[in-house]
Amino acid sequence: MTERAQIRLRLGVVAGLAAAAAVCFAIALANGRAARAAVQGVTGEVLTYSSPVEMLFSPDGARLYVLCQGTDEVRVLDASTYAEIKKIRVGHIPRGFSFSPDGARMFVANTWDDTISVIGTKALEVSATWPVGAEPSNVVEDRAGKFLFVANRISNDVAVLDAQTGEELKRLAAGRGASYITPSPDGARLYVTHVYPNPGAHRTPPESEITVIDAARAVVIDRIPLHGIAHGFHVAFSADGRLGVLAELHPKNLVPLAHLEHSGAFADTLMLFGADVGTKPVEVPLDELERYVARPFGVAIAPDKSRVYVSSEGSEIVTVIDVARLLRFVHAHPEPSAQDLSASANYVVARINVGHDPRGVLMARDGRHVFVANRLDDSISVIDAQSNRVASTVPLEGAKQISVLRHGEQTFYTARYSFQGQIACANCHIDSTFDGLTWDLEPDGFGRDIVDNRPIEDLVGTEPYKWNGGNPNLPTECGPRTEKYFWRSENYDDLTLTDLVTYVRHIPSRPNRWRQPGGELTPAQDRGKAVFERAVDKFGNAIPEANRCSFCHSGPKGTSQKSFDVGTRKATDNSGLLDTPQLTNIALSSPYLHDGSAATLEEIWTVFNPEDKHGRTNDLTKDELNDLIEYLRTR
Amino acid sequence: MKVGNRTIWVALFGALLLPVCAFTPNSTENLKTDLVVTAATAYEPMAALRGGERFPQGAQLLRVHDGKTEPLVAGFAATADANVSFDAKTVLFAGKKAIGDPWQIWELTLTSGMLRQVAQGSTDAIRPFYLPAERMVYAQRGPHGFSLVTARLNDSAKVLEAGMAAVFPLTYTHANALPDDVLADGRILFEAGFPLGTDGSPELFLVYADGSGVESYRCDHGVPRWGGHQVASGDVVFTHGASLARFTSPLAHEERIAAPRAEYAGAVTETEDGAWLMSARSTKSERFALKQWKPGASTLEPVLSVDGMNIVEPMLLAPRTRPHHHPSGLHPWDYANLLALDARLSRDGALKGVPATVRMETQDADGRTHVAGTAPVEQDGSFFVKVPGDTPVRFAVLDASGTVLRLERGWFWARGGEQRICVGCHTGPERAAENRVPAVLLHTTTPVDLTGKAPADLSQHAAQGGQSK
Repeated sequence: MTERAQIRLRLGVVAGLAAAAAVCFAIALANGRAARAAVQGVTGEVLTYSSPVEMLFSPDGARLYVLCQGTDEVRVLDASTYAEIKKIRVGHIPRGFSFSPDGARMFVANTWDDTISVIGTKALEVSATWPVGAEPSNVVEDRAGKFLFVANRISNDVAVLDAQTGEELKRLAAGRGASYITPSPDGARLYVTHVYPNPGAHRTPPESEITVIDAARAVVIDRIPLHGIAHGFHVAFSADGRLGVLAELHPKNLVPLAHLEHSGAFADTLMLFGADVGTKPVEVPLDELERYVARPFGVAIAPDKSRVYVSSEGSEIVTVIDVARLLRFVHAHPEPSAQDLSASANYVVARINVGHDPRGVLMARDGRHVFVANRLDDSISVIDAQSNRVASTVPLEGAKQISVLRHGEQTFYTARYSFQGQIACANCHIDSTFDGLTWDLEPDGFGRDIVDNRPIEDLVGTEPYKWNGGNPNLPTECGPRTEKYFWRSENYDDLTLTDLVTYVRHIPSRPNRWRQPGGELTPAQDRGKAVFERAVDKFGNAIPEANRCSFCHSGPKGTSQKSFDVGTRKATDNSGLLDTPQLTNIALSSPYLHDGSAATLEEIWTVFNPEDKHGRTNDLTKDELNDLIEYLRTR
Repeated sequence: MKVGNRTIWVALFGALLLPVCAFTPNSTENLKTDLVVTAATAYEPMAALRGGERFPQGAQLLRVHDGKTEPLVAGFAATADANVSFDAKTVLFAGKKAIGDPWQIWELTLTSGMLRQVAQGSTDAIRPFYLPAERMVYAQRGPHGFSLVTARLNDSAKVLEAGMAAVFPLTYTHANALPDDVLADGRILFEAGFPLGTDGSPELFLVYADGSGVESYRCDHGVPRWGGHQVASGDVVFTHGASLARFTSPLAHEERIAAPRAEYAGAVTETEDGAWLMSARSTKSERFALKQWKPGASTLEPVLSVDGMNIVEPMLLAPRTRPHHHPSGLHPWDYANLLALDARLSRDGALKGVPATVRMETQDADGRTHVAGTAPVEQDGSFFVKVPGDTPVRFAVLDASGTVLRLERGWFWARGGEQRICVGCHTGPERAAENRVPAVLLHTTTPVDLTGKAPADLSQHAAQGGQSK
């Protein structure tokens, strides 16, 4: 679609919305009609996008399998002509897939259904659907065909299933937000990464890990520490198994965010590990002095180990690295080089423009082509590995028009609007959620008003925004404030801002894993609800209305949309008056409180509520607090 | 310009005026695009950085079209420094209506020929560049030489909404500074003496369009650099005089350009097909002529020369990509807060001692140096100070005995309302911050006040960026 056509389409769609949307789209877009309009084309048809995220070649190389998150499908293409052979419907919002070692079966992790789809590759049909943990994101079978390992993002673990029956055998603790599993080339070990930082002390650098599993025994045998890393994505191994490469994000959340130049907000880095590197993992930067490689995600290594290919979601590029030069640099510079923006000049040999939000990277077995799934373009970029140019772009079946929501999502994920292309909304809202970090933003003063990053699911009806309630609506939050204090560069035009706000307002809430299917509460949840709503404490004293949980956390989203002083002000806070946060999926978004000082929900009351200003809770026992937590988990 | 020189200058200019208007070009056969150049009998590219006159015998803007040249505007005694708007509909330039006038900034509308003066003053104003958001930047002569100034180009509601003052300076040292280009990321590239705030050898610096964030483009100082211009690749190409070089995004140091041997005037302009137009000459005794060079070629192709004239400052008469607008985040304060993350770090090597304090010095309006005070340095090398805005400052790192461990050679400034972070002391732009809470912020969030003024209202002070724990 041409730029002009896109603009026409946007104009058409926006014009189709209520006229008030142009003036106050925060209100106009709240109803269902606007939601439908946001996904409609110019003639009113609902636009559906395939949104490819990962790819695999069949063991014989004849087929290219594409995992399409937008249509809940595995698309089977002819690997030579890219003609579509079949669409296989799987569960909702699939994120990862893999073959069994013999290639007879394919496993798909369906994040919103909490299931694994088992596909017979001969019939190209789903033969079984197995329930698994919360938000399964990737799945790998061991070489012996005995175990199936599933990374569960919400339960922070790896489920071990019987590979033949799907019966869950046990869980292995992994990092927070466990999401990606990569087997070593010999299949003996599995390397699991996670997208949220592990819990740690307040205002200390984030810590992450690569969880190493012995695939034959299904036990964790190592946890490779990743100091300073908050978000880990794909791992790739060289064919000889001597080099592992992890794409990761290294935030600067502890330094006041005063400007973006010189990697002020994030370092986009790779973690190298394995025998080629030495006994300790080595972090190397991908960024340059004036150009950033925002959010490295997918990794592939050439069969001859000559090159590493890394996709960057925000920068919409693939970075090509010369492995020999990389290793020479690493061995010549044993001191940490992650802060050196000139380091990448030693090993980066090309940066190749691809489509919107490039995700999975797949290397052809002959090493001649690299495939990149452009999630928000519904296409696959085919890169000629010899020339480092895009040889062709394979369009996938789906809507060609760009809806308001789609354009808004593209805007959310691209880093092109920030100074020198360093960050995007999605840098701090991983997969449109949150990042588990606290930040020191500049406007409130250096070291002051440290703020926890709140989730952005289901935002409608939770205004105002910011912990101090300073932003009345999303257009303000995403517009002038973001331009001045985050992007530090020219922001979107008004139409693009409208589309972005529409997208943000329509980010749905992930399924709540603690709610019963029928909505009824468990006994513990029921007891917790009573605590939440109680008007009398355990000593028979009336709890003033303003001191009840349900007073501030009222309404369907758990917020009265008003600000209160609940006694949590720290010496570094400019005010104790804080916006009441919504409770939607509150169980997922630790740490808690405005500054992220409470590591758990329980700490809100046991550590940070000494005077009962944050609700009357000091009369509650440990069991009663557990009940309260059980109830809150259902919100 | 000094009055004593004016008579000589007027005489020279009078002799020059006619031939300038009546010249004929020697060659334009390699020129496939319209452009504007400055023609001048005498051209001293470095003169303005010393506060002098680059065109001591006058200059005239020429429009080059279809192999023919003609004056861009009529009715001026001198014109120079053309900058074409992003849509190629208007041209900013420096002009003198009468020989004895100071240079002033004018805007020409190409289709109608309409002229308007867009900056007025009693001193020279030269080198105008368009900025996004309907502003411009130029160099204005003041008591300490040329400094960068930004001004609104019109008073439309949208421009007024931006809330920036109509005219204000961007550079705050007691030495000359001249704009070179506006980069795609919205920062202004300028040339000034190195160390900054001195009359040292020319170097390239950066500043945001609100005057904040001043820094050296790179820290591999040494060879003089000037005439910087950003090409489509994002590289900044500049001249050393006898050679061309560039700054690239991946490297912390300049990269030499293998261009033919010549003397280059700087201000390279890139054509649509990737060739570079630039002013060059074989020897110092020759005049600068306009040449075309395709990167990698072994020769310079002649494009335009005029007998007895230097042809400099080429600018394509074509639309170009508008740079990004910088949204100013300055607070309404007359002071600034500076946070150094680790004063021990520097490209200059390890300190020979443990830093205990930093001493800040300022320059007054007469250029005299004053010690503003000292602030403690934490064990991790961090310090946090409140400094006067829009004032030249520099720091010295001292040990516990007061011995200077490191002294900044130049001066820099922070704009009033700026909150700025330095990774170290002259660490270079390649050095990124480590992710840790600076120890000074764990100790206090109140900067040590080095403004020379005690905070009059502590509660207000707290709201403006600081409060002890």
